[in-house]
Amino acid sequence: MNVILEARDIRYRYPGSIEAIKGISFHMRRGEKIALVGPNGAGKSTLLQMFNGMIRPNSGTVLFDKEPIQYDTLSLRQLRKRVGYVLQNPDRQIIAPTVYQDVAFGPANLGYDDQAIRQAVALALRQVGLEGFERRPPHHLSGGEKKRVAIAGVLAMDPDVLVFDEPTSGLDPSGSEDLMELLDELNHDGKTVIISTHDVELAYPWADRAILLLDGRILEEDVPDVAFGNLDHVRMAHLSVPTLLELSQELGKRGFAQPKRKPRSVLDMIHIIENLINRSGSNAKPGSISVCNVDEERDTSIATWVKSRPGLTVGAMGTRAKQRASKEQLALEFTYGVIDKCILRALRGQDSLILTTSGMVDRVAIRVEAYCKDSGNTIAVIPLNTTNQSSVAGLLNEVVKENDPSH
Amino acid sequence: MFETLLDDVAQNSTFRHIHPGTKILLGLGSLLICLVSPSPVVPLISGIILSLVILIPARISPLMYGELLLAPAIFTAFSIIVLLFMLGGGEVIWRFSPVSWINFTITEGAVRQSVLILFRVFGCTISLFFIALTTPVTDLFNIMKRCRIPLELIDLMMIMYRYIFITYEQAREIWQAQIMRLGYSRVKESIRSFSMLCGMLFISSWIAGEGLIHAMDCRCYNGIMPSLDPAGPVQMPSLILVLLYLAGLIGILLMITTGVVVVP
Repeated sequence: MNVILEARDIRYRYPGSIEAIKGISFHMRRGEKIALVGPNGAGKSTLLQMFNGMIRPNSGTVLFDKEPIQYDTLSLRQLRKRVGYVLQNPDRQIIAPTVYQDVAFGPANLGYDDQAIRQAVALALRQVGLEGFERRPPHHLSGGEKKRVAIAGVLAMDPDVLVFDEPTSGLDPSGSEDLMELLDELNHDGKTVIISTHDVELAYPWADRAILLLDGRILEEDVPDVAFGNLDHVRMAHLSVPTLLELSQELGKRGFAQPKRKPRSVLDMIHIIENLINRSGSNAKPGSISVCNVDEERDTSIATWVKSRPGLTVGAMGTRAKQRASKEQLALEFTYGVIDKCILRALRGQDSLILTTSGMVDRVAIRVEAYCKDSGNTIAVIPLNTTNQSSVAGLLNEVVKENDPSH
Repeated sequence: MFETLLDDVAQNSTFRHIHPGTKILLGLGSLLICLVSPSPVVPLISGIILSLVILIPARISPLMYGELLLAPAIFTAFSIIVLLFMLGGGEVIWRFSPVSWINFTITEGAVRQSVLILFRVFGCTISLFFIALTTPVTDLFNIMKRCRIPLELIDLMMIMYRYIFITYEQAREIWQAQIMRLGYSRVKESIRSFSMLCGMLFISSWIAGEGLIHAMDCRCYNGIMPSLDPAGPVQMPSLILVLLYLAGLIGILLMITTGVVVVP
């Protein structure tokens, strides 16, 4: 088991105050996505700050990469390079007068040379989709952009673990979804991600594991559908049961058989409902999903390709894909939860195109395949590329013709 | 209020892409020439040309520019009135003595001096406004570094610059919250509300200061504040234009001082 962060019976008392952490033990595996959920004052932020050594527990040990954390200046600097911490309020985190300087702050202090700093900054800004913002002062940015600058500032140090304190606070709903997508993207690039949040609906489909925290103790630690499915615990932690999970539970109580794997998305729910009314694998032949890698299709116009196919909807996954779409003035139907939404469309016999980046191309195929295996449907995933665009286009046209319900 | 506004204008200026060194050379160069000029003609020419540059290619709205000039104009006007009576020399042009021991006189020398000062102020102010309206503070930090201003000072300035806007925003929020609950409604109330605002700002600045150290620690602070990548090389066309302009001004200045051109 590849454990990267571990806490062993840690306790912490704020000076002159009550005990905030009352004996917590848990571990994080490399590449995991963990959501730390709990009410205000449960000790979420305190716990998170122990992971990069900002707070030293009174007793117990925190281990990073199987080594207990040392609290001398040098070791702490090394730890903080590898465990990036993104504060809740970006205004608190952004220090420098321009975006470039702020993102360069970590690398410069780690002693990188100018060339390396420039590279690290460019890469970090590219990852969060803020290329071209280098010379902007932070007070000219929107809340979401500030959050991204704060994240870039941490990414520039190339940490292994990313710790986010309330990443979606102060963002509008679509901004929150975008941010969660970004966290997914980063996780896909190999980062271990831990977030603290109140937002059950966001944490539920996103996390690999949820930890319910109450009053300085771990109340429940499990995969999200189990952790959030325990009504008593959820109520105790001042949270709410995610709508999908509640719906599934209510259906179960009314005698409709529920699968063992609880629904994590609308797609899962639709699948359950369709199974219930025996319409699964209905007559309509499923549509197809085309996947376009924007990193490879640099020169061609996606817009003209899309225009020649009426009825096609376009979704974008990943920051660069969204930028490309706005550059080509493509109307995006989906900007988050893209794969599931496209599968939903395909089930209704409609086609869609997903714009995505190199790192995430495989995810489409994997997700669709997993769904098909589960449900017994077949949905074609067609890679779109320019070198043999004509043949792909021809193939797609056929598919469209076949699937068009009017024929 | 104006600090935010001026910097915002500079951030969005059409001259943003021009190398800050070139812009500062133009601003400071014409400022110095205006200062040393013994004749009001040179500052007048410089002021008018720079104003035209600010208004036409830099596309600063004339209304805003007028408003900006108004504040120094009023100040200068009052100073000039005082100077008119204080300075002396030459023939008396106007005398006013209501009582035998009070004597207001304006002399020819005083008029000449005052006009010179008026135009110098005009020229210098516009030179400075040119820098303020086209060069954002963020671009100045690099120049300061090159001018060998101690790094500690520049780092401090950067952090202050960053926090001006946060503190300003906070002050505005507190002020609005007070207005909404009828603060500042009477004189006594205003004093109380204002002192509260100051107290709150002090506390929040203190907390922000602690937060800052925390944030810097989180990101491995080791005494280095990175500087902005230089804005690329100096563009020759704009630099040559600026040099030509300054050379022209100096030429006029020399012609006047050596008496080639006689100015009344």
